[in-house]
Amino acid sequence: MSKHNVSRRQFLNYTLTGVGGFMAAGMLMPMVRFAIDPVLSADKGGDYVATKQKVGELTTEPTRVDFSFKQVDGWYESEETNTAWVYKTDDGKIVALSPICKHLGCTVGWNTDKTNPNQFFCPCHYGRYTKDGMNVKGTPPVSPLDVFDTKEKDGILYLGQLKPHGEA
Amino acid sequence: MKWTAKDLDMYMQSKEYVDTVLIPLVPLSFKGQMKQTGSMNEFLTILSLEIEKQMKGRILLLPTFHYFSDEMDKVERLKGWVNEVKENKFEHVFLLTSDFEWKKEERELENNLVWIPAIPLEGLEIEQAREMINQQVLQILDIFSYNWKNEKK
Ligand code: FES
Repeated sequence: MSKHNVSRRQFLNYTLTGVGGFMAAGMLMPMVRFAIDPVLSADKGGDYVATKQKVGELTTEPTRVDFSFKQVDGWYESEETNTAWVYKTDDGKIVALSPICKHLGCTVGWNTDKTNPNQFFCPCHYGRYTKDGMNVKGTPPVSPLDVFDTKEKDGILYLGQLKPHGEA
Repeated sequence: MKWTAKDLDMYMQSKEYVDTVLIPLVPLSFKGQMKQTGSMNEFLTILSLEIEKQMKGRILLLPTFHYFSDEMDKVERLKGWVNEVKENKFEHVFLLTSDFEWKKEERELENNLVWIPAIPLEGLEIEQAREMINQQVLQILDIFSYNWKNEKK
């Protein structure tokens, strides 16, 4: 018998590994796509989204501004609504804060805790932030609220990328 | 947090902060009520996802508990779910439904039933629907906050 003869067992082994490997690759590809996709779509979101808020009507008191945009979540494209807390500083600068608590992601409200007025308050574990978005020491959140890039066009407020506090 | 791999990872890392479970209850039927059950399904899906979004860090949203309207042992089955949840150290279990039938079982379910009439969303403009859902969400969040506070003694 020459050694080039492939036994039945070897033959099966080779082919099965081949098929198995092929199947594994098939499974892996979608998974890789999943892992990469959110990053790619986040990149596409660089544009500014128009809100319904007139810049002229903003005051120094934070107001809720809702805006919607298309989002691809898994394989569904949906109309996603997002919210920002927006106000003007005393020198007229516009600040737009994300309402998402940096502790575990609940939605914070403005001035909703009677005992701590003029702060952002998270109802979940009573986290607090000062008006400029800084987390109050001694409450669960360990970092400040994220900040949206903002832009004004024809008197209307546009919101852009969300960035960690201090980088916007 | 939702019942997804990513959120459950988060849950396992922060268990001590998540003390509340929310279970939507939605009936199914092939008979005269079929369409209504469809409306309830749509409404409760949106409503519960919206609640989850607001209270992500403290609430674990379970997949919907579905049952056929004339199913005999639905109450027992649901109680089984609730017990399982309680055994896993959740202090609050809220059951959210638009199905009036559960009202009768309220006592047996120990008052954690939140009944809310379904708004048929299919006839509404998206803006209108959103506004109405928001109102409902606020009311329900009030109920939750109230319960959380009273436990804090
Ligand atoms: S999620 Fe806001 S304090 Fe925990």
